[in-house]
Amino acid sequence: MFRFLVRRILGAAVILLIISALVFVLFYAAPRDPARIACGKVCTPETLELVRKNLAISDPLPVQYWEWLKGLFVGRDYSSFGHCNAPCLGYSFQSREPVLDTILDRFPTTISLSLGAAVVFLTFGVGTGMLAAVKQGKALDKIASSASLIASSMQIYVVGVFATYLLVDQLHLLDRASYTPFTDNPGKWFSGLLVPWLVLSLIFTANYTRMTRSQMVESLSQDYVRTARAKGLSSRTVFFRFAWRGAMGPIVTIFGLDLGVLLGGAIITESTFSLQGLGMLSVKAVQNNDLPMLLGVVLVAAGAIVVFNIIVDTVYALIDPRVRLA
Amino acid sequence: MSFSRRNFLIATSVAAAGSTVLSACSSGDAGGSGGTPSAGATEYTGAKVTVGTAADSTGPAPEIPGAKKGGTIYGLAPDDFSHLDPQRIYYAYNSTVALLLHRCLTGYKIDASGKQKLVGDLATDTGKASDDNKTWTFTLKEGLKWEDGSELTVEDVRHGFERSWAPFITEGADYAQRALTGKGGDWRDAYEGPYKGKHLDSIVIDKAKRTITFKLAESKPDFNFTLAMHSYAAVPVKMDTKEKYDKKPVASGPYKIKAHTTDKSMVLIRNKHWDPKTDSIRNAYPDGFEFRFGIETLDGVDRLIASQGDDAYGVSIYKGVPAERIQKVLTDPELKKRTFNGLLTGTYFYWINTKRVTDLKVRQALIHAWPLQQIRQIYGGPSAGDFATSVLSPDIIGYEKTDVYNKLKKPQGDPAAAKKLLKEAGKLGQKIVYAFPNDPTYNKTKVVIENALKAAGFTPVIKPLESTAYYDQVQQIDNSYDVMWGGWSPDWPTAYTMIQPLLDGDAIGNGKNNVSQTDVDWINEGIKKNAVIPDQQEAGKAWAALDKRIMEEVAPMIPETYQRRFYVYGNKVGGAQFDPNFSATLLYKTFVKA
Repeated sequence: MFRFLVRRILGAAVILLIISALVFVLFYAAPRDPARIACGKVCTPETLELVRKNLAISDPLPVQYWEWLKGLFVGRDYSSFGHCNAPCLGYSFQSREPVLDTILDRFPTTISLSLGAAVVFLTFGVGTGMLAAVKQGKALDKIASSASLIASSMQIYVVGVFATYLLVDQLHLLDRASYTPFTDNPGKWFSGLLVPWLVLSLIFTANYTRMTRSQMVESLSQDYVRTARAKGLSSRTVFFRFAWRGAMGPIVTIFGLDLGVLLGGAIITESTFSLQGLGMLSVKAVQNNDLPMLLGVVLVAAGAIVVFNIIVDTVYALIDPRVRLA
Repeated sequence: MSFSRRNFLIATSVAAAGSTVLSACSSGDAGGSGGTPSAGATEYTGAKVTVGTAADSTGPAPEIPGAKKGGTIYGLAPDDFSHLDPQRIYYAYNSTVALLLHRCLTGYKIDASGKQKLVGDLATDTGKASDDNKTWTFTLKEGLKWEDGSELTVEDVRHGFERSWAPFITEGADYAQRALTGKGGDWRDAYEGPYKGKHLDSIVIDKAKRTITFKLAESKPDFNFTLAMHSYAAVPVKMDTKEKYDKKPVASGPYKIKAHTTDKSMVLIRNKHWDPKTDSIRNAYPDGFEFRFGIETLDGVDRLIASQGDDAYGVSIYKGVPAERIQKVLTDPELKKRTFNGLLTGTYFYWINTKRVTDLKVRQALIHAWPLQQIRQIYGGPSAGDFATSVLSPDIIGYEKTDVYNKLKKPQGDPAAAKKLLKEAGKLGQKIVYAFPNDPTYNKTKVVIENALKAAGFTPVIKPLESTAYYDQVQQIDNSYDVMWGGWSPDWPTAYTMIQPLLDGDAIGNGKNNVSQTDVDWINEGIKKNAVIPDQQEAGKAWAALDKRIMEEVAPMIPETYQRRFYVYGNKVGGAQFDPNFSATLLYKTFVKA
């Protein structure tokens, strides 16, 4: 098990290294120059050179990448920003703030949004899916199945705007989306995130409903379930102890991956509700040609996915010894 | 481009339609609305700029009827201000907050109708020029203080100019540096900056008399307009924290920064050492401002429309009502009362590459063919702006409306007239390569342009260019484009700031703005001659004549629109009006309604 974990973590480090190099190369492959953008209207060659020096982008590309990598482990000195402690992800071209500080500042918003939504969509998604499976072919199943089909085809930027208009502006039932740190005011944290949670989980709930239903239906038709029934076990026991546990494996896997993606930034949800999380940060970084910020956010997003992949694999490895040998 | 922070390139995005104007767009690119408002658009009538007297420069600012002190105004915006250090401010959005924090020697006093006068801000008047307009002297008002109560001196004013030479300041305007050194683009070579104790020889101060004198290398009759740019605001010598000043500048204006979390929020509170008696421009009724960043344009406008909680005291700092909401805002009478609007300061146009399209008749045919009405329809119809007919914009002193090519009568284009000219030139079927930024708006306008060109007998070739590097590509003099979308916003409202960069033969070159590559002797001479006419109203007439002649005899560009921006504000906000210089909400005139 230990060797398995070490192997996966080393693999993850290599993946992150490749991703960072790719972002670097792709960024400079585009026909745009961050120095030219920061230089303003009256950009003489001399001024442009000053800007390059200030932004620490005057060296050749491999040297820049090496300096950036080195900064991660030993920190880095900038002529215009001063010293940046390890792990140094650099300074944003746009805000001229340390990238790491900005990411740490935004991460709680994204974590709150993702975990809260996950609680909602897991509870409702799995719950509804199970109900539909029990009532297979009946009215409840049909309603749940069609409702989830409709919900899964919804777009967050449509539902989000509509939900805000109806629930916040017109009916005054819920608070406008905002983020207050949990430690500052748990009540405001909850009420400010409720609308985004509901909207974000709407799409996910539908997927989990459909997935749970199909997994449950499949489990319920398995031989071991029939055997359990034949042995005279109660419906409840058969359903939860046998069928449900069998069906949950694939759902846990998908959930792990979904959560990884969400933690990398729920871009559309954050934009729709003007929440300042990692998703918004990445959009702005792209728009502003802000390479250090872009690299930072991409690494965190990729890191989240990689980490959750390892967790899922580990859980699987614990369950199934064959995975450890693979 | 709805999310973008737009201090891109040398370009500054301004249009409601999501377009990008090549723009200096900074402090003092005065304007407002001059043109006749289009049908159904607005009652707003802007005005030309005049030069005020010493009496106009004496504070306090005239009271706004019904306004009272107190409360907080909330400013909503998608992005944080990219710079707060005045010498690093050129972008109009940054200037909206700079008006609350920083003061320059001169500034614009704006009345309720949007008319404006150039007045002394830190200075007692708009300056005394020598006969040759090479020496300018300003006297500081008495009672000027920094936010800590220390005196604002002529040394601080000089420091605001000298620190432009610091290597960390690369974003500001450079008009004054060029004029003070006479070295053109090499102005940095002439001086090493103030941090080693040396001062510029061309700025002379007299502490006892509180005067500051600028000795310019060339005649600049409109130098006092240049000094209204925030790039030339005062900075206290003793509290200059260099690179760090950008995060926490020291205020001389009516408000100071209490707290600032980058990209999230900024809180301004009263600067109790600001004396309204020294300031004829700013009212400063609210006790403070709270800016909230990261609120996307549509979300922000919806919040202001709903006006719940703090949003009732909210204004949009710089983002106009987007096309999705413009009908709702204009058709709801209650909402319409909570709007104001104005024309952006510049002109949108299409450069014609005169090195490729060498025949005047072909260029004139292009102007005749151009489908202005269909283009404006895509921008949002009459509320999106007025048709442009020449290079100068209505905000420029001396602007005269001309219509050499009958575009106001035939805004949909005149293919017959175009075809006739093409036949006369023997160029029927001429290939025209049209280049534009590859973004949704211009991908729509390209369709109507392509159709219009075909109808007029041209063979159009459509060339979308990567939008973030658009200007870099069209500003290459050996480019292969015949017609290029563009726009220009002046830095202050004299015609020199538009005609010189766009049409002077000296302004041709890679990265320069004479993209049409117009190099005509009488234009070059006219620019030199008009630039030194001392009286700005007189100069304005000469510029207007030049503007018209350029359209008649050279036709180097196809004027498109003077674009309009609408703003909506919360239902408890009073005094909200259009800032004609920065095309934004004029924050210092707002107040909280009882």
